[in-house]
Amino acid sequence: MIPPQFEYFRPASLPEALALLSTYADDAKVLAGGQSLISLLKLRLANPKYLIDLGGIGGLNYIRKETDGQAERIAMGAMTTYAEIKGSSLLQSRCPLLPQTASVVGDVQVRNLGTLGGSLAHADPAGDMPAAILALGAELKAVGPKGERWIKAEDFFLGFYATALSPHEILTEIRVPLSAKRKSAYIKAARRPSDFALVGIAVCLEAGQGGTCERIAVGVTGVTDKPYRAKSLEAKLKGKKLDRETIEAAAPAVTEGVDVIGNIHASADFRSHLARVYLYRTIQAASQS
Amino acid sequence: MMDFDQLFVTRNWVGKPVRRNEDVRFVKGEGRYVDDLAMDCAQVAILRSIFAHARVKRIDVSRAAAMKGVLAVVTGPEVAGQTKPIAPRAITKPATQFVMASEKVRYVGEPIAAVVAEDRYLAEDALDLIDVDYEPLPAVVRIEDALRADAPLLFDEAASNVLLDDTLEHGDIKRAYQEADLVIKEKFHVHRYSSTPLENWAMIARHDKASDSFVVWANDQQPGRSVVNVCNTLQIPTNRFRLIVPDSGGGFGIKLAIWPYMVILCLLAKKVNKPVKWIQTRREHLLGGTHAPDCQVELELPMKKDGTILGLSMKDYENDGSFVHTAGIYGLIKFATLVGCYNIKATRAQMLSIATNKGPTVQNRGVGKPTMIFVLERAMDIAAKQLGLDPAEIRFRNFVQPEQMPYTTPSGEIYESGNYPECLRKALALSHYEELKKQQAEMRKQGRYLGIGISAGIEPGTSNLGYYYTSRGIPEYTGNAEGAIVGIDYDGNANVIVGSVDTGQGHATTIAQVVSDMLGISPERVSVDNQLDSLISPFLGHSGAYSNKFNDVDLGAVIRATEKIRNKMLTIAAHALQSDVADLKLNNGTIYSAKDNSKKVSFREIAALAYKKILYLPEGLEPGLKEIAYYKNPMAKLPNKENFNVQLTHSNSVHVVAVEVDVETGEIAFRKYVIVHDCGNQVNPAIVDGMTIGSTVHGIGGVLLEEFVYDEDGQLLTTTFMDYMKPVAAGLPQFELGHMYSPCPYTLLGTKSAGEGGAIGSLAAVANAVEDALSPFGVKVTSLPLSPEKVVRAIRETKVI
Ligand SMILES: Cc1cc2nc3c(=O)[nH]c(=O)nc-3n(C[C@H](O)[C@H](O)[C@H](O)COP(=O)(O)OP(=O)(O)OC[C@H]3O[C@@H](n4cnc5c(N)ncnc54)[C@H](O)[C@@H]3O)c2cc1C
Repeated sequence: MIPPQFEYFRPASLPEALALLSTYADDAKVLAGGQSLISLLKLRLANPKYLIDLGGIGGLNYIRKETDGQAERIAMGAMTTYAEIKGSSLLQSRCPLLPQTASVVGDVQVRNLGTLGGSLAHADPAGDMPAAILALGAELKAVGPKGERWIKAEDFFLGFYATALSPHEILTEIRVPLSAKRKSAYIKAARRPSDFALVGIAVCLEAGQGGTCERIAVGVTGVTDKPYRAKSLEAKLKGKKLDRETIEAAAPAVTEGVDVIGNIHASADFRSHLARVYLYRTIQAASQS
Repeated sequence: MMDFDQLFVTRNWVGKPVRRNEDVRFVKGEGRYVDDLAMDCAQVAILRSIFAHARVKRIDVSRAAAMKGVLAVVTGPEVAGQTKPIAPRAITKPATQFVMASEKVRYVGEPIAAVVAEDRYLAEDALDLIDVDYEPLPAVVRIEDALRADAPLLFDEAASNVLLDDTLEHGDIKRAYQEADLVIKEKFHVHRYSSTPLENWAMIARHDKASDSFVVWANDQQPGRSVVNVCNTLQIPTNRFRLIVPDSGGGFGIKLAIWPYMVILCLLAKKVNKPVKWIQTRREHLLGGTHAPDCQVELELPMKKDGTILGLSMKDYENDGSFVHTAGIYGLIKFATLVGCYNIKATRAQMLSIATNKGPTVQNRGVGKPTMIFVLERAMDIAAKQLGLDPAEIRFRNFVQPEQMPYTTPSGEIYESGNYPECLRKALALSHYEELKKQQAEMRKQGRYLGIGISAGIEPGTSNLGYYYTSRGIPEYTGNAEGAIVGIDYDGNANVIVGSVDTGQGHATTIAQVVSDMLGISPERVSVDNQLDSLISPFLGHSGAYSNKFNDVDLGAVIRATEKIRNKMLTIAAHALQSDVADLKLNNGTIYSAKDNSKKVSFREIAALAYKKILYLPEGLEPGLKEIAYYKNPMAKLPNKENFNVQLTHSNSVHVVAVEVDVETGEIAFRKYVIVHDCGNQVNPAIVDGMTIGSTVHGIGGVLLEEFVYDEDGQLLTTTFMDYMKPVAAGLPQFELGHMYSPCPYTLLGTKSAGEGGAIGSLAAVANAVEDALSPFGVKVTSLPLSPEKVVRAIRETKVI
């Protein structure tokens, strides 16, 4: 790796990291698992003068169950790795969508180093975790010089590698509501098992009376400049019986109002086609989960 | 082939799956690659063109040269002033290109300046400070663009982008057409891909002021030729240049022409009076660290209604990009397998080498033969379908028969041995072909699409280097040969130095097996030095690791040198034991008399006589125990358009593949992969299996995933492994291998090539399987790669991939 010159910090606490971040402002980048940032440095596509490594800060790496009155939720530290999510028995039993999604991110090396927080903050338009986080209706905690705030997943992703985080903020926690009725699945189309998604679909649904679908949330990745919730599609499916005809009739809405990207791996047309095919397959998988 | 009873004194090692003795040190990180050599070097970074085609009006390096830590900067014009242009090997039109672009750049990534600095970081930073004024020219990217009458020219002096256009006819092709009931005609397109070895190019150059001479350490794959090329280009005598090749992390042909960069490094080393190092990055490698050309092939097979092929006519356009040294080679080498496994009596082949603004091309694993077998084996399936024959049946009807061996093809290629029908029969049995067909019918009823593909291919080995000059009529190199030195040391252990290099094939293990059985010692007592040193190693212009020549001429040279050393030891032993050489036997590091077991002398004692107690040697015998030998393949013909052989051994194989295609998503999944392979005798079956599988995976990468994609401006869009997709273990089939052993009569061990066959046979096998799977949709496969998008589009709209 032959990056441009930078200065490296490894703060021991969050306040220290935040202080460094506000001192060096726009010339600084925080480093989590490095699975995206290091590649950018290597190709000299990112040029930060200061690198603030979050690896020395304790307490950002956890998966736990919390209760808030009647409601139960999962809280995960931003530095939790894919491998930890994949291996968590708590998640496997209470929120299997997260381990299922984490297990198809990259390869073993990437999963051992890459973090949930890094994945969300990086906001790769084809990132896997964002799709799951969107479908689960998660909330993200951002800590900055002025304190902390909570951002809804659906408000978090703004565009190509752009998020609602300000350059002075650090993402510290991701919260996911739990539901006993929730069924879920994530499926991605990729050229090779370790590749980014051409299209990735995350589905959470709750069945109502008589086999209808009471609630459905669909997170989509790989299709446009950012991962998104397919809201108009959800509206078309809610309250219906999710048979093949109904899903196929509604499927075009999965990319409705979205500027579908085309590149050497898939044209815009083919991506839209894949989104429709995988929408059906993912809903099927979720229903049977 | 030699009589093994004469050749070997034991049969403990040759033919056994001996574990590779190289592996432990490689997996433990103890290899000695160029970048591991402990030397105090300045570091080189190379400025590369950002345009595919442009005039370079001005290069200003003053800011870079003034940067702290920068030792020197050279530019294209400066390099061109001190070097001769790159020598072409096969093209016939004039085309002047220097190792660094001077007036004009011809591909994105072409070197235009180089910086030497105290470290690589500074050198890379300095590149940003070089100002280049380009005048962009329209880029020529596709074959059809290059051929247009008003196409921009890569080389004005050639007056055309076609740098070679030659047609060779053998046999009565006119009659073949006259007698034909039908002619199968198809146009195929094969994309650009390559091998991308794990270790990129790497080199260090050192200049010695006193003698004005150079030493270069580089992971060169063909050092014999590189020495000539570097000296010619730098215009220095050979005794001023020494090339050392340490461990090399993979080659596959892609390191056969790294010498232009050695020229640049030599100039830099001289300039800064310090060793200089350049380690290519992966991006540099993908940009211009060479590709196999993309090509378009128009193929015609005049044939009888019963499926008999009467002739083959081909027009082959190779998009050779922008490297004049190797342009034109891909068309010529196809003659090694022009008629494949078939009894085709007449051929006409027109080959065109086309210059474009794509990156340089060099011989890559199989060099044109994967494409040749792809188009031929695709055409066989197309013919079978048209005639209503089973794909296996049409092949049976055309195979060269075992009793025709050795078989000479119309152009003069000699297939020395093999049983092609039996090879296919075995592959059909191993794959349960009839069962697969039943399964296919069952699955179709459930809306699942299974396809079965067969491909039969020839895998030629050992290049007769004269063939490159068939078109030019001036052979600089002919035939093929290699050298070896075998010695016995003070302890009676053997050591071997060969002229070739190893790029991962396990040469040291294989050589040790042969020498052990020839001398009657265990392989632990045979050390093989894989490092080539042009001052010491017994090398030739042919020396290197390419065209599967190892099993033939490299081992040939080792055998000849070992015979010499064995004879000398026997002579010394006979003298010491006062017996006849004819009565002596070798066993376990001793020589003893078959008539009287108590009469024996160990290798160590013989070594003591040869090295120390030299007055006890027989009258007139030289002291010392080291022998050199060169061995050349006896079958090479002189190049002559009417009758020539491109390669000197010919293995063959059959691949039978079953794939399932998801017709909604275009994804292709393997359900079966059977390979039956005949490479004659095998010295190390485990290594042969590894090569067969590895090589097949290379082909699978080419069929399904790997592609250098250029946009219309000639920008390469696949410059990382994220976009240039190598196959990964997940998603590959479980390979089932079968072997046949038809010894080659013209190599000493009866061996033939093993490293390229998979890359050659797999393209057609997978493509045929995919077409078969999609037959309910009427889809025809004429191009690669088979990306999911192309598959879906063909099913839904175009009907052609
Ligand atoms: C070979 C390979 C294959 C891959 N395949 C996939 C795949 O299939 N699917 C997929 O989704 N991803 C894939 N990735 C990307 C991977 O998931 C990355 O781990 C992820 O995108 C970034 O996480 P990280 O922890 O490595 O972050 P880093 O690379 O360290 O950082 C990424 C960015 O996020 C910022 N950042 C990180 N943490 C925080 C934080 N807590 N607060 C604020 N900003 C932060 C950094 O400043 C940086 O800009 C792949 C990567 C590689 C190398």
